[in-house]
Amino acid sequence: MGFRSFLHRITAPSLDGIRPQGPCKMVCIVNHGLKMGKGKIAAQVGHGAVMAAMKAGGEKPMYLEQWLATGQKKVCLKGDDAEHLLAIEKQAKAAGISTTLVHDAGHTQIPSGSLTVLALGPDSETLLEQITGELKLL
Amino acid sequence: MASTVDEPSMVLIARHDLKMSAGKLAVQCSHAAVSCTMNARKTHARLVERWRNAGARKICLRADDLATLQRLAGQAQVAGLVTHLVKDAGHTEIPPGTVTVLGIGPAPRRAIDALVSELKPY
Repeated sequence: MGFRSFLHRITAPSLDGIRPQGPCKMVCIVNHGLKMGKGKIAAQVGHGAVMAAMKAGGEKPMYLEQWLATGQKKVCLKGDDAEHLLAIEKQAKAAGISTTLVHDAGHTQIPSGSLTVLALGPDSETLLEQITGELKLL
Repeated sequence: MASTVDEPSMVLIARHDLKMSAGKLAVQCSHAAVSCTMNARKTHARLVERWRNAGARKICLRADDLATLQRLAGQAQVAGLVTHLVKDAGHTEIPPGTVTVLGIGPAPRRAIDALVSELKPY
């Protein structure tokens, strides 16, 4: 460990914020209307997962810590189209879940700026279940 | 575009022989992406920032079998790149402990291209 990271470690404030109740997961909802290839979907969900994890590091550090420590559970679900994803995002926001929208740069397969993935969480499984319970697995 | 050659990139190399569904593949790849990012943040903080600012480029490639994945992981480690091998917990589709995806990066695009140039997109 370098001197600066050592200093950082001993002076950093301890993680605070609300502790999660029960197990955590992340849900990624893919815009199925776009007919993306498997590899394309994987890369887009990867974007969503990394962005959501980074966001949670700032907003809900306790949730991120627990999620990382318990095997970073992720579930991938099917959404009908961009409107469907935005409607779910609205519900999730209202429930206090952190949301991340992935827009594609459009280098391959689909038009630039398309909404490809909505990532929710990491947040408690029961809370996410209420919002995404009726969606199908991808 | 010469300017993009040195932009950091990440590759997610998935095993094609496991015949995972689209959702399973996506979840395994994002495990690799998150783990690589979290590891790289400790050791290559500036590179990670540069990568994220440039759009966090990710590419999903396919490998034929486990041996290819392990060989590439070894080569990437020798080259000093951040790597992560994803072992599945085996809740769905495949047996527990199966290695599914290798994540490499974020790393300079040239270093990654040198390793994976013969692989096809998934």
